[in-house]
Amino acid sequence: MALQVIGCEVIPQLLAKLMAEGRVVGPQRREGTEQWAFADVKDPCDVDLEYISTTLPAKKYAFPPVEKLLRYELTERPVMEAVVESEPLVIFGAHPCDIYGLRALDLAFSDQNVDPNYEARRSQMRIVGVDCKPDKYCFCGSMGTASPNDGYDLFLSPITGGYVAETVTEAGAQMLEGLPTREATAAELAEVKERLARKIQETSRVNVEVHSLPMLLSGLENSKHWEEHAEKCYSCGTCNLVCPTCYCFNVLDQMALSLDRGTKEREWDGCMLEAFGKVAGGENFREEREERLRHRFYRKYSYLFTKHGRPFCCGCGRCVRQCLVHIDPVEVLNDLIVEAEGRQG
Amino acid sequence: MAATCQCESNRQLYVPKLAVLEKIAPQTPLETLFQFRFEDGQPLGHRAGQFVEISLPGIGEAPISVASAPCEDPVFELCVRKVGNVTAALHNLKEGALVGIRGPFGNGFPDDCLKGQDVLIVAGGIGLVPVRPLIHHIMCNRFDYNNFTILYGMKTPQEMLFRDEIETWQASDAVDLRLTIDRPHPDWSGHVGVITTLFPDLELDAPKTRTVVVGPPIMYRFVILECKNKSLADENIILSLERHMKCGVGKCGHCQINNKYVCLDGPVFTYSELKHMWEAI
Repeated sequence: MALQVIGCEVIPQLLAKLMAEGRVVGPQRREGTEQWAFADVKDPCDVDLEYISTTLPAKKYAFPPVEKLLRYELTERPVMEAVVESEPLVIFGAHPCDIYGLRALDLAFSDQNVDPNYEARRSQMRIVGVDCKPDKYCFCGSMGTASPNDGYDLFLSPITGGYVAETVTEAGAQMLEGLPTREATAAELAEVKERLARKIQETSRVNVEVHSLPMLLSGLENSKHWEEHAEKCYSCGTCNLVCPTCYCFNVLDQMALSLDRGTKEREWDGCMLEAFGKVAGGENFREEREERLRHRFYRKYSYLFTKHGRPFCCGCGRCVRQCLVHIDPVEVLNDLIVEAEGRQG
Repeated sequence: MAATCQCESNRQLYVPKLAVLEKIAPQTPLETLFQFRFEDGQPLGHRAGQFVEISLPGIGEAPISVASAPCEDPVFELCVRKVGNVTAALHNLKEGALVGIRGPFGNGFPDDCLKGQDVLIVAGGIGLVPVRPLIHHIMCNRFDYNNFTILYGMKTPQEMLFRDEIETWQASDAVDLRLTIDRPHPDWSGHVGVITTLFPDLELDAPKTRTVVVGPPIMYRFVILECKNKSLADENIILSLERHMKCGVGKCGHCQINNKYVCLDGPVFTYSELKHMWEAI
């Protein structure tokens, strides 16, 4: 691990260098809005490192919204072959929450059966992280995700006039090669630390330590709060789509108009959608909104948490930021915490 | 993520293997038994109670229980109800057609815990399909098991699957087969009533009995209640559950029941596992 300082003016140079080597994506403002999206960088000046949050997380590059899994030809003897697409890619300017989200997906997609498509994309990915300024929806402090432990090559922490650049991999060190850098001073490192402490304080909004959530949730399956919060849910699935740690998908065959070939594709699916738990014949195993909301919360804060040893929520706040009816995971969790504490008496 | 897993078998995770449709045996107006053999002659290598994903390129993929016993390899059978896109298209195929198969997936029935015991199978409707391999297996290795009883319930006599086999089983001393239909029907002279009405006459040696239950969701609760009335232990009540497994390999999330994936941890569970899972039935 090395800590260096680069000036703000070095960022375009760094981007230009990376762009000369291959595809780079980064956060860019949608013109005239307070919204940002990760997109291919065409001009280094388009990258806005002071963004709040992107609509979709960086996961879309490891696990695209629609992805080909197979290609087939409907000849007399059908030919079916795997499609595993990937290319070297630099994600520039990922926030700690997005980096954490990708680490969680790494665990999910490599568990028991390694997913070839995810693995291929991910193994060619390099990540330049950047620290952020939280808004009122962020709760990374509560999830323990305010700063990344791993999953990046280079991490930029803003300081006055520039960034402290931390390189943790060979690839990260190579990114800075040939660029003007200097060693960080003690005061600059203190500034980074102080900034992080402030962020953690501002974003610690769930009223319990994160590792106690799985235990706390056991016994709360019949809580009235599921219905209370789900009552306003439109079952639109937006929270699933914008979530960095959601990875459920549907699998569909797409036949070409020529009817002699096609592809099998997967597309993002969501457990909040009404049809998600349906089986042939019409039985729906999660018919009610509160059942679906409860399932989503148990998946994030209990099932996958217990299985992989970390919450499957990165506290990015995208779900509530995009929610049409403001279902806030912090409010839901805090309601549940009050109920659990009441029971303990 | 470590770039260590780009081996060929991993790359093939979602690629089906071609199998030839060798025989078509209609069972009812809705259900048909299809027999397949892999093009390369390899056996499916499944255990009773497992499922495969059948793929019709251009139409889609569907999870289907294997209906034949492992000892019948290298041919294997799927008994399919015409209910969705894939299953309807399958019913239009002719013998000799090629389909894609992925699997087998899931855990299957726990044969070790059935061996040497009394086995009671309770099947409702097409619930007979997933237990058929187990029935075949027990009938082929009959001396490995003690008393063997099958309860099979249908709505109407027209829904009866595997009629020839049922006649054979009825005539056999090796199994005590009891049939019922839900409501009286002019073509039926046997027992009438839902499947639980067959329980009062059963004489079970509770500690030695292992019960396997497969049927529509509505059936489970009532059958479990009858099993409890007969003092069967929760861990000896074995159930196979239905979900729409879209990937079969523990990723897509569709088959999740609480913290379990039906495609990896199931579809077979004991009641002692399920009774704490509020999403199970």
